[in-house]
Amino acid sequence: METRSFLTLEDTSREDLREVLDLARAYAGGHVREALAGKTVCLAFFEASTRTAVSFELAAKRSGADVISLSEKGSAIAKGESLIDTVVTLDRLGADAIVLRHPSAGAAALASHHTAAPVINAGDGCGQHPTQALLDLYALSDALGGFEELAGRRLTIVGDVLHSRVARSVIPGFVRAGIEVSLVAPRTLLPPDAGAWGLPVLSSVDDAIEWGADVLYMLRLQRERMTGARIPSVAEYARFYGVARRHLHSGLLVMHPGPVNRGVEISGDVVLDASSLIPDQVAAGICVRSAVLALSTGVAQRAAA
Amino acid sequence: MMREDSAPTELVIRQAHILDPGSGLDGVMDVRLSSGRISEVGEGLHGPRELDAEGLHLFPGFVDVHAHWRTPGREDEEDIESGSAAAAAGGFTGVVMMPNTDPVVDRPVMVSGLVRRVERESRVRARVSAALHVGLAGERLTEMRLLKEAGAFCVSDDGLGTASAGVLRNGMLYAHSAGLPVFLHCEDHTLATGVVHDGVAASLAGLPGSPASAEDAATATALILAAETGAKVHITHVSTALSAALVGFFKERADVTADTTPHHLTLTDDLVSTLEGLYRVNPPLRPDGDRGGVEAALREGILDFVATDHAPHASEEKELPMEEAAPGFLGHETAFAALYTDLVLTGRLSLTRLVETMSCAPGEWVGEGGSLRIGAPADLTLVDLSEEWTVGRETLISRSSNSPYLGRTLTGRVVGTIVGGEPVHDRTGARFGVRA
Repeated sequence: METRSFLTLEDTSREDLREVLDLARAYAGGHVREALAGKTVCLAFFEASTRTAVSFELAAKRSGADVISLSEKGSAIAKGESLIDTVVTLDRLGADAIVLRHPSAGAAALASHHTAAPVINAGDGCGQHPTQALLDLYALSDALGGFEELAGRRLTIVGDVLHSRVARSVIPGFVRAGIEVSLVAPRTLLPPDAGAWGLPVLSSVDDAIEWGADVLYMLRLQRERMTGARIPSVAEYARFYGVARRHLHSGLLVMHPGPVNRGVEISGDVVLDASSLIPDQVAAGICVRSAVLALSTGVAQRAAA
Repeated sequence: MMREDSAPTELVIRQAHILDPGSGLDGVMDVRLSSGRISEVGEGLHGPRELDAEGLHLFPGFVDVHAHWRTPGREDEEDIESGSAAAAAGGFTGVVMMPNTDPVVDRPVMVSGLVRRVERESRVRARVSAALHVGLAGERLTEMRLLKEAGAFCVSDDGLGTASAGVLRNGMLYAHSAGLPVFLHCEDHTLATGVVHDGVAASLAGLPGSPASAEDAATATALILAAETGAKVHITHVSTALSAALVGFFKERADVTADTTPHHLTLTDDLVSTLEGLYRVNPPLRPDGDRGGVEAALREGILDFVATDHAPHASEEKELPMEEAAPGFLGHETAFAALYTDLVLTGRLSLTRLVETMSCAPGEWVGEGGSLRIGAPADLTLVDLSEEWTVGRETLISRSSNSPYLGRTLTGRVVGTIVGGEPVHDRTGARFGVRA
């Protein structure tokens, strides 16, 4: 069976995206059971994570895989074993897939050079978080009536693009799906040349609404960046870069990869509003990650999609 | 130097294409080396010991003013023997060793100890740079006059830079009194918070970037202080177009020289997209606009010479994600070939200018070598400009293998290096055989 690593969405085609989403949809409909029976999925988390780790674990277990979890506490990782040595060990122990979370960009690619088993990037530094982008596409497709409905929609990514691995995966993902994407962030939280993604940069959430955004994709503002040199205050940030009830109108959807900072990038009464897709994003994680595991281990071939 | 007492003291190298821009030599000639010095250059020379170098080029020995031989402290990565062997393999006959070792070379006894070890262990002429401030901590000045007495050639803050402009200014003033050149690594750490150049490649990769201003602001500060204090200042590894232009502006206003590296002249931050720790270096690889600006400055003489910043690292420090990897590249063994391949063969730099920037100008700066004039030390490099070779771990003589050119096929290879009249590197076998 052909295996493949999932490291980045940068060079993923529209067809690749559709393949994952179609398989995820089939799995959500109940075809997931025993898809990964007999397979061993290793979760190697070199960085604290709750929702992504739980989501991958559920995705693997519901599709019948054995799951081994290695977190930074109480494992070789805590004893100072190097990334390469850890993944080589998991590989030789017979892992069929290694799900890797790591604080440094490029860690998943580096790991994949040393293993026979496919590596699935569950977030590496400020680099990539491809399964997040896939589940976002799944949740948004569902809300809009299908993958084809994404093309031509307008979506604004708001917040700390500079330090966001989510942004680096959702931008190519959304663009490939045909969505028109713009960015809103202060220059201190934007990469130079706005990342050279060729996306328009708007100055506030109000401007995004005026631009005609159908979707606001809010990024989490890391706590350590709330004070200090990059933004003057949480109050000023929330005023210009947060979404509040006053922004909501029929047809506007709000997304957030979680965990949210209520009152910072999103006001408390928006989080669970009807316009919020946040719970749907979380739910989509399981079937999407089952599909990624199935495709990466080769149990689901391209034709199955 | 490693010399055999029984070796004859005269050697005639015949029929090499001799190129020494400083002495105006350019053509196929013979050269006689006697008692460790150049004694005659001309046609039809013969002697009891001859070396047939037909088809090879002969240059004044290359001089590398920027080398990290990791001694003391990290001899697992490089030591004087292996570093000097790597230098000789790259055609270098002279080197300046940087003081950011563990411990830092900041006391006279360490300098005198290194000077003695170099005499025994180095294949090439190695000079010792002492630290500009104690522990390279940027606070107290080192005992520069005692360091000079102990044999220090210059003082440097390489590896870290000097955070305080006030300390740097005093360091320049005192070094001026002590008669020591000041060798500076210009980097503002309040700006240099990343691991790669802060550009498009970094933002796409999600790697924290250090902006060009981190180098430019510190370079401007150093140049202003050099002009004000009158100290003899050398700015190493200039990597941005703006810093090169700043050096140009201050050339007439200060006693300043500057170098750039082979890697900043031949590689760009395109390599950031590999995400591989191997390609982390400080200052970081820059976009092609800066690379081109630095190349133009070297061509035009604004930058005086090339220095490699030879920085060996153990594999466990490089086989890591970029953010965790140690910065630095090997430099000695690939310097000439990388520059010859990427700049000379492409027509962007003349071979004459390359020899000026690798031999003549750095030789003049250290005060010895870099010239084939009669009476000069017989330090020279023989190169086969037609040989193609692939850089690989097994071809590198350095104890480490962190070369950014690994896997690259380069043109032009050093086949022999002579220091004080005696071969210190010879990989030619029969080709370079001495006929008695």
